[in-house]
Amino acid sequence: MTNPRQLTKNIGQGIIHLVLMAGVLFWLIPFVWMFLASLKPTEEIFTRFWPTRLTLEHYQLVFRGGTALRRPFLRSVFNNLFVAAVETAAMLIIGAITGYALGRLEFKGRKLLYNAILYQMVFPGVLFLIPTFLIVIRMRLINTYAGMIVRFLTDATAVFLFVQFFRTIPRDLIDAARVDGASELTILGRVMIPLSGSVTAFVALFNFQARWNEFLWNLIVAKDYDLMTLPVLLASFTHEYGGGQYAGARMAGATILTLPILILFLLFRSFFEEGIVTSGLKG
Amino acid sequence: MAAIAGTASQARLTQERRSNWTGYLLTSPYVIYNVIFWIYPFIWGSIIAFQRWNIISPEREFVGLDNFIGVLKNPQFWNALLVTFRFWIFFLPAVIIASLGLAMLLRRVDRFRAFYIAGYLASYTMAGVAYSVVFRLLLSGNGLINTWIWQLFHVRVPWFTNPRIAIISIALVVVWKFIGYYGLIFLAGLQAIPRELYEAAAIDGARAWARFWRITIPLLNPSFTVIFVFATILSFGIFTEPFLITGGGPLGSTQTFMLLIYQKTFENLEAGYGSAMAILMAAFSFVATAIVRKAIEREVAL
Repeated sequence: MTNPRQLTKNIGQGIIHLVLMAGVLFWLIPFVWMFLASLKPTEEIFTRFWPTRLTLEHYQLVFRGGTALRRPFLRSVFNNLFVAAVETAAMLIIGAITGYALGRLEFKGRKLLYNAILYQMVFPGVLFLIPTFLIVIRMRLINTYAGMIVRFLTDATAVFLFVQFFRTIPRDLIDAARVDGASELTILGRVMIPLSGSVTAFVALFNFQARWNEFLWNLIVAKDYDLMTLPVLLASFTHEYGGGQYAGARMAGATILTLPILILFLLFRSFFEEGIVTSGLKG
Repeated sequence: MAAIAGTASQARLTQERRSNWTGYLLTSPYVIYNVIFWIYPFIWGSIIAFQRWNIISPEREFVGLDNFIGVLKNPQFWNALLVTFRFWIFFLPAVIIASLGLAMLLRRVDRFRAFYIAGYLASYTMAGVAYSVVFRLLLSGNGLINTWIWQLFHVRVPWFTNPRIAIISIALVVVWKFIGYYGLIFLAGLQAIPRELYEAAAIDGARAWARFWRITIPLLNPSFTVIFVFATILSFGIFTEPFLITGGGPLGSTQTFMLLIYQKTFENLEAGYGSAMAILMAAFSFVATAIVRKAIEREVAL
């Protein structure tokens, strides 16, 4: 016998699940539609949700016909990966070293520097866009990988997170390593980082996502097709063939842009979620 | 005795000095980089705003406040402010109702919570370029959504072609992106409210509606503040969506600040003018954020 209260509760739960599930399906329509559109014949893109037959012609056009379209898509994927990976690595390495010094060493000016970095976190990026672009022109780095990468080598938030986390690591561990004659960098690499897996993973994931998705800066620096990252190439392609032409190829490009981050997100979901909650507490 | 103390303090001094140098050495990559690519551009950007310069030519001319006056006299600048306001006034309530609703539902379920969160958060991970390209087709005049709406109601929604609707459509796209993100912030806020408060209120005879307005809303204030601030800053920085979907049109109805700055600086090469515009926009953004914060933020003791 189920008692009536339990029954009401179950019905309530059922309705909530129904609403949430319907919402998820609705929310995922753009993903599913993009993916299907990249696989269906052009004439079905606008007319049908479910394709009648699947085709790889759009992917073939994007990858093999890339030169016919004068758009080196495959190369732009590697460009994107290269630029985002170098930037993320620099942010991680410099972030961890700086975070260690600010969090666990005592030196004159430490407080001042830490406050400056906290201040940096809330500064609007728009103020730096134009002058940084002019510096890159002056350094003759326009239209180069270095020009794209040079803007994103450090991240104040990454330093902040490393400082916060390193401070929670017991002092004894650091002292013990010092007694053994370990240098500061050894302590960082052998003691601090291995104990900070979650924060390192989170900084790496969040920054890699942001750098992989970066658009505006790479758009103004990269002028040649051969240098463009995937978002920039896809945008230039979209501007040229705005309407229905090559719609499937565009969806194939968008799918290639989306999938790597989506997979990383599904694999390391908890780090993303933790990071978002932290960002909410910080603000 | 004195000699020993002397050696000890000597040792401490060297230790401290060594530590000073280690600190400087380890922070030097960050500091040097940020002097070159943060402080220097900041100062230079402020100087350029007082010059007329077209980037290509070596000639630069000091023009005083001309750029700022020019920006303030430019109707496009005020149009961008209006566009930002129209985006904000629609985006903010829509995203708050959606994400708060989501968080309240998520708090009530025990099973599948991780699945739902992943489902709603996925949109946040998608690149701006990717979803803009997708929505441009999905919401186009003869796109799939319009096909569905036509079958149901026999109308077509001019999502991106009607000047009164276009910015609202872009706001909807951004709501789609952020519901999971803001929902998680609200969920964390909800979980910080002790359940006993609700139980006590229920015993006192408070109905669900009263509990919502008297307990949930006031005690969620920290989350509300964060989201109001995030959403306000975001409203001033919209670029990728109008750049790819509408190009600022129709009739300038989606011409955001960032789009305007991009066109002036990187298409027309008016670096000084663009810098002045960026500074004025940052000032507006700063003031708007401060006002919003002041209006929303309350002391909450949990």
